[in-house]
Amino acid sequence: MLDSLQLMISGFGIATTMQNLFYCLMGAIVGTLVGVLPGLGPIAGIALLIPATFGLNPTSAIIMLAGIYYGAMYGGSTTSILLNVPGETASVITCIDGYQMAQKGRAGPALAMCAIGSFIAGTIGIFGLVFLAPPLAEAALAFGPPEYFSLMVFGFIVLSNVTGTSLIKALMMAVVGLIIGTIGIDPVTGNERFTFGSAPLLGGIEFVAVAIGLFGIGEVLVNVEKPLGMLEEKVIFPRLKELYPSLQDLKRSITAILRGTGIGFGVGLVPGPAPVIATYASYMTEKKVSKHPDEFGKGAIEGVAGPESANNSACQSAFIPLFVLGIPFAPPTAILLGALLIHGVNPGPMLIGQHPQLFWGVIASMYIGNFILLLLNLPFVPFFANILRIPKKILLPLVILFCITGMYTVNNSVFDIWMMLLFGGLGFMMRKWAYEGAPLLLALVLGPKLEVAFRQSLMMSRGDFSIFVSRPVSLVFLLATILFLLVPVFRILFKKKKGRDVKVQS
Amino acid sequence: MLTKKLIISLALLSIVSVGMPLPAAEFPTKEVQIIIPWSAGGATDLIFRALAANTGKYLGKAVVVINRPGGAGAVGYTEGMQARPDGYTLTAAVPPLTILPHWVTTAFTYRNFEPILNVVSDPSMFLVRSDAPWKSLQEFLDYAKKNPNMITVGNAGAGGGVHLVALAFERAAGVKFNHIPFAGGGPSVTAILGGHVNAVSVSPPEGIEHVKAGKLRIMALFAKKRLELFPDAATVREQGIDFVMGMWRGLIAPKGAPPDAIKKLHDAFKQGMEDPVFIKNARDMAVNLSYLGPEDFGKLMAHDHELYGQLVKEVKK
Amino acid sequence: MKRSEAIGAVIIFLFGGITALLSLKMPIGTFRVAGSGLFPLCLGLLLMALSGLFLLTLSFGSERIIEKKDRVVFIPGSVKQILPFFAALVLATLFFKELGYPLTSFLLLLSLLRILGVNRWTTNIPLSLVTVVASYLLFVKWLQIPLPKGWIGF
Repeated sequence: MLDSLQLMISGFGIATTMQNLFYCLMGAIVGTLVGVLPGLGPIAGIALLIPATFGLNPTSAIIMLAGIYYGAMYGGSTTSILLNVPGETASVITCIDGYQMAQKGRAGPALAMCAIGSFIAGTIGIFGLVFLAPPLAEAALAFGPPEYFSLMVFGFIVLSNVTGTSLIKALMMAVVGLIIGTIGIDPVTGNERFTFGSAPLLGGIEFVAVAIGLFGIGEVLVNVEKPLGMLEEKVIFPRLKELYPSLQDLKRSITAILRGTGIGFGVGLVPGPAPVIATYASYMTEKKVSKHPDEFGKGAIEGVAGPESANNSACQSAFIPLFVLGIPFAPPTAILLGALLIHGVNPGPMLIGQHPQLFWGVIASMYIGNFILLLLNLPFVPFFANILRIPKKILLPLVILFCITGMYTVNNSVFDIWMMLLFGGLGFMMRKWAYEGAPLLLALVLGPKLEVAFRQSLMMSRGDFSIFVSRPVSLVFLLATILFLLVPVFRILFKKKKGRDVKVQS
Repeated sequence: MLTKKLIISLALLSIVSVGMPLPAAEFPTKEVQIIIPWSAGGATDLIFRALAANTGKYLGKAVVVINRPGGAGAVGYTEGMQARPDGYTLTAAVPPLTILPHWVTTAFTYRNFEPILNVVSDPSMFLVRSDAPWKSLQEFLDYAKKNPNMITVGNAGAGGGVHLVALAFERAAGVKFNHIPFAGGGPSVTAILGGHVNAVSVSPPEGIEHVKAGKLRIMALFAKKRLELFPDAATVREQGIDFVMGMWRGLIAPKGAPPDAIKKLHDAFKQGMEDPVFIKNARDMAVNLSYLGPEDFGKLMAHDHELYGQLVKEVKK
Repeated sequence: MKRSEAIGAVIIFLFGGITALLSLKMPIGTFRVAGSGLFPLCLGLLLMALSGLFLLTLSFGSERIIEKKDRVVFIPGSVKQILPFFAALVLATLFFKELGYPLTSFLLLLSLLRILGVNRWTTNIPLSLVTVVASYLLFVKWLQIPLPKGWIGF
């Protein structure tokens, strides 16, 4: 441990050279811009800048690219809060309460809380990364297909009704999401499903298209429906002292942030779109433990602080499998892997040993990056909050352009734009009939993986279902799911019993 | 109202077209794109990113890589086929180009493309954990013969290159494995590291680092000769099974691309391949450079198209 | 109110039904060796069950009806805005590749602003122009994202 500390300090030395600080800053700025634009996520940002890093030494290159990764995470929440357009996939949950807060004139506190929460999560996360990396990586390896399946069943059941309006409606949306997730090529057999001979559909429907469509375009359409007179108005005029979080906000959020950090860090170890899942899990947790659960969905600050922290710490722990095992679990880390390879650094079990300055330099700069981003984002809060002062009739077309541009940048595909419009229309209809988009998106993300894990497990066991319960980790998750489902049943039974006891006593 | 808008738009258009650059000039007048039909971070992606970076200077214009993942490569190849045949949009060709049309209905086959050159040719291999009970290929195959369908072999996706390699090897060795598909090379290597499958079918650079670190071992090498990096790993040929199969990775353009553009691209990429920085990149990734000119590459694709056609037919029976 | 909720549920029911029907065309296999169609089939059936259940709860009146101002399904006058707005989006997407990014976005912004009531050309045009130029500089020039060029050349 002492060794690690010493190395970390030398890492700080490397990270704080003028050169590396500059690259970190560049990365952070580009990342924020990239994150703010919907659709264009860290993947594209990092990919775009890889060529620019060719002249640099590996450490500086990775510092810059990692900076983009975070910057994008920070930036993604900005548009979610201001415009209900998820800047990138993990910011979907932030739209829920963040946008509501903005509508009430509290965009400033929401934005600031995101930055603060992300910073705290990032800081704690880095310590986790440093001290827990190797054992966690080993733990991550223990997850094989049966464990993923059980984990995802658990996550799915627990998180489906995350916005908590009507369970049956949420489940309906979740199943719709699952069905949409099957479109494309069946990953297990390679057969086409529901593609109707269309080439773009072979790749399935792009998640970003659905997210931006349902939330962003849907929201715009709902606004367009309002009488023209209403569009003259602007969102509430934020006053200066309301631009930053109040003490009460901070008090309420701090526990949310800490919990979010823990949840995110754990969830981030799971392969796949971990940050998204982490945000859902954090939101759900905050809702359950909160003293004011009815505020959720209408602008509860914990609903923003918690998920954003979870998002950030999930990004941190996503680096663990990359650095320790050399395997990227999520697309952004996959590109970082590519960048490392191009620079002649081969991530794998020997990375830390062979290139200690790289590893520790990058770790230290991650911390610095978080700090820089906090400094970058906080002063801009009033600027961003004031965007909402633009009259809606001007703002809405700009948002549309913003969404279309961003959407196109993901896959350079006009088909995606069509999908986005389709889901925009769908989102509009869903609002009318009070169906939530969040369960649909979660299902879209988890569904394909759930199905694949299920079929892989059965292939491994040659059709034997006991594989799910004979492996300890898998069994644990399945039991947890059953317990969770039984809680409401227990509650009812318990109430009845209490009622009877009371009767007997009197 | 409408006419006003129309007039203004026309006015703007004319202003803009006056400043329009004339098309004439020499190829290339703008950057060249390479479509990679997989997501970032995979073997093909990494190799072509490195090549693109090193070819820009020889071509005179930047070469950029764009990812079009989906459909096990189908999305990318379909788009590559439909791109304008002007030489500015290329596609990275790997065996799935010749496998997919037999596996699912696709709009494309290799015949919709013009070969430019082949860059890499890597043998595939089976990796096992270093603590696996089978110490030699013989032991592995004996076990497989006695227990058909028991040994789980992971691959990077059903119908993908390494999956087909595993299927072909089964036939050559006379055994039957239990193939478990994963969503790419990364997850399949993760699975073997965690011990969830017995072996994994890969192509470099997937898994190489772990072999270097001693966590994984090469069980079967489907190459003509031993690898430079791991001289102790014998090929299956040496051990009595005449089986060589690998992954080639090259560049193609849509059919109808102008021949002089193809020539320019070919020359530039060949120089890129010979660039010392790229050679170092390739060596670090344990990737084997193997240049083939357009004609030979075309023949290779035709040959593999037939080969995989047969193989897939047998498998799908 | 209940009627429109019911219509929503019926649409979902039909969606589930179509899914189930289409998935029957694919190999189903068994649970042990699942074919491609098994999962979608189960999902389609599940969706039909859920929406059916929902319809039942509606008809027995136990479903809470959320009182909110915008619960009304269709505001009559608003069709005048939504349809042209959406139509503009559709047109822009249709011609996105041909006209190229800058031109399409310019025309789109013009139309949308007009539809939403920005009547003065003196605000409309400069605003659209500035936005398009700014986004062009940012995305095409600086970030080098390949946005379609269209026949006017950029």
